[in-house]
Amino acid sequence: MKTLFQTKLAAPLFALLLIVASAAATRAQDSRLQLNSLDHLSAKASQTVDVNIDEKLIRIALKVFSDQDAEERKIKEVVAGIKGIYVKSFEFETDGQYTAADMETIRTQLRGPGWSRLVNVMSKKEGNLEVYLLMNGETVGGLAVLSSDLRELVVVNIVGPVNLDKLAQLEGHLGIPELGIEPAKPKTKNDDEK
Amino acid sequence: MNDDYLWDKSGEPDPQIQQLEEILGTLRYQPKPLKLPARRNYLPLLAIAATLVIALLAVALWLQTRKQVASIPAVAIAKPADPIIGPPLSVSTSPPQKVRPRVTKTDRQEALAAKQQLMFALRLASEKLNAAHRRTQDKRSSYENTLPN
Repeated sequence: MKTLFQTKLAAPLFALLLIVASAAATRAQDSRLQLNSLDHLSAKASQTVDVNIDEKLIRIALKVFSDQDAEERKIKEVVAGIKGIYVKSFEFETDGQYTAADMETIRTQLRGPGWSRLVNVMSKKEGNLEVYLLMNGETVGGLAVLSSDLRELVVVNIVGPVNLDKLAQLEGHLGIPELGIEPAKPKTKNDDEK
Repeated sequence: MNDDYLWDKSGEPDPQIQQLEEILGTLRYQPKPLKLPARRNYLPLLAIAATLVIALLAVALWLQTRKQVASIPAVAIAKPADPIIGPPLSVSTSPPQKVRPRVTKTDRQEALAAKQQLMFALRLASEKLNAAHRRTQDKRSSYENTLPN
């Protein structure tokens, strides 16, 4: 004799399992990083920047972008499809205010499925710079940038499809003065020869 | 004792056998009509579900119709005005201008603040990407310089 599970509950439970599994899969592919673990650093930092722009806020911002302005059109193109931009930046007055464990909380998330490290530049002088991409098949589904040196820690997380070429082209075209984030390049032998 | 009793129930029965018969007789097969469990009737449940779906559809349709009616501007029927004596009205031949949705002052302020944040974040992301590109290029060129010709 068939049990109650076999007769009546099997189909609904299987459907529920499918829904839960698909939800879990979607969650796994979500490129939003949890940056709250870094919040405690704001107490030690001399300057903190915290930007949280979700899809709704992006849509609101796009209302005041002009179609006539070429630069603003470019930004609109870059932003189209993006579901969120999140930034946390800390500047410290003294060295070693954040720990490797702080960075590890972010890196752990970036070891998840879909994420791959595109760039990893390590330098004692200029600090470390890591660029991660979340690939959804052939398309980029998210971007994360981790930048750290002795007195600075920056995490940028873009959720949604990103056109890296177009994004890179925006630098210096947004009508905002240079941020001066990149430290001055040390003179190389080649420079002297020139 | 007559053994025929055990064979065809003729003759005198043994008292022990009789006792056994009485004890085991309670377990004898007794024919009963077959009772199948009553089949559950899903009809009332289906009827309730269908009623709910129809009610929901009706409410959605009503809301949609109400929204459409509300979006139609009210037209005031005025009496034909007296002819105005004056210069003829100039009729513009330029194409009609695109009507922008009305943005309140607060909305605009909010949008401008969001725009600033968005631009800052994009700028930062862009700068970091370019920095990564530059630094990888530097490393590559310095590596190439070290290679023997």
